[in-house]
Amino acid sequence: MLERLIILAVTGAVLTGISCSLVGSFVVRMNLSSLGFCMSHAAFAGAALGLVLSVNPLIMSIVFSTGVAIVLGPLAEKAKLPTNVILGIIFSLMISLGLIFLNLTPQTAMSSVALSILWGSILGMTVQNVLFLLGLTCGTILIFFLFFKEFQSIMFSRMLAEASGISTKPFYYLMLFLTGVTVAFSLKLVGGLLVFALMVNPASSAYQFSYDMKRITILAPLIGVICCVAGIGVSFVLDLPVGSSIAVISSVVFGLSVLVSPKRKRG
Amino acid sequence: MIELKNVSAIYEGEKIPSIKNINLTVARGEFVTIVGPNGAGKTTLLETINGLLESEGKISVLGMDLRKNGSQIRKRIGYVPQEFTCNSLTPFLVKDVILMGRFGKIGLLKSPSATDYQVVHHTMEFLSVVSLQNNPVGKLSGGQLQKVMIARALAKEPDILLLDEPFSNLDLKARSDISLKISSLHARGLTVIMVIHDRSSIPETCRRIITIENGEITSDKKLEVT
Repeated sequence: MLERLIILAVTGAVLTGISCSLVGSFVVRMNLSSLGFCMSHAAFAGAALGLVLSVNPLIMSIVFSTGVAIVLGPLAEKAKLPTNVILGIIFSLMISLGLIFLNLTPQTAMSSVALSILWGSILGMTVQNVLFLLGLTCGTILIFFLFFKEFQSIMFSRMLAEASGISTKPFYYLMLFLTGVTVAFSLKLVGGLLVFALMVNPASSAYQFSYDMKRITILAPLIGVICCVAGIGVSFVLDLPVGSSIAVISSVVFGLSVLVSPKRKRG
Repeated sequence: MIELKNVSAIYEGEKIPSIKNINLTVARGEFVTIVGPNGAGKTTLLETINGLLESEGKISVLGMDLRKNGSQIRKRIGYVPQEFTCNSLTPFLVKDVILMGRFGKIGLLKSPSATDYQVVHHTMEFLSVVSLQNNPVGKLSGGQLQKVMIARALAKEPDILLLDEPFSNLDLKARSDISLKISSLHARGLTVIMVIHDRSSIPETCRRIITIENGEITSDKKLEVT
């Protein structure tokens, strides 16, 4: 039984590591690192509203996160502000809405149900969850594969991509949406902390080793997977929480990457 | 080839248009230089022709309405922006940046073919940047980056080349070299529109000089061949 739990946890974490780190290569390059915690809190607000309306909190959390992912791009465009600024505004709105919704919930014990969306439970992974993550990971890889040249062009310069004849708007929105969906769907399974760590840390580490975007998009998920497996190993040996262990390992890997980065060597 | 009728462009939040009531026709194969003081509207005019900036009036490029076929038109225009910069850690190699110039032309769901790589290589040879191809783009000097941006625009094999201050980061030798190369492309039939603030840099093969001041065309001179 324990063996089965471990296998499911490792598989789930590895799949999340691949999908989050892959979209992370876009998130880091486009300076959108606040996307992770903004989406987490959108999910929290959704779960809280679900409790008020007696609707499944998980479904509501996914509705809220994907909703934010859909409006984010057009809103930033309309406001003529960097997407990161809009993320900050949405983040404060979502955390406020979440608290208001919880205030409307009669049983205070229900708060923990909404807050559990932010923490997740990697050891509670089911076969269905793993299959779900497998679908998400395959979908993310497929979209990256199909539109890599458009994404690459936008990551270099959105203005030059537009000038070269690429309609950048749908691709930029697709990328934001894909990131939002990845966060929303991974959240309940592995928790906000791990999603955020896996989105930023492996991609930031990969950026330390190459100037080639193709290599970075392969290296980032690879580092993500290594961090997940190592983190789970450490958590079992030292009896530590799995999510936190993976987050710590990925931060250490980033620190080491900066230290040994060939980009900083002279001569 | 390019026709602007009563075209005005105003940046959001501004009260005065950056360019106003511009009427301009550029024929296929022409070499036009646009001159004028800083803030006159030269860059705005180039961005308007490229459809990167919203505008009023009628614009037709390559026989198509710019507003309806913006992306289609941009696939056939090579554009070199003014003083493009990137930081030293920018994760792109020179050869990839130049290849990206062709991405719009290659089209959706298609990978670059052997021909695309061949064109990129020839363009790098033409602009003498082959030795830089595996260098990170963020590590280039201003002049090298300028050449790479011109290569990126030419790799598209465009029908029209729009150049915004192409000599700004180049030393005198590189300036004369690039000027000759642009002239040779024009001699092969390429339509060139170049924005420049320093009149002494206008290539000898340029036969039309347009002056813009305060967003309006104040002079449009066609030079005789001597």
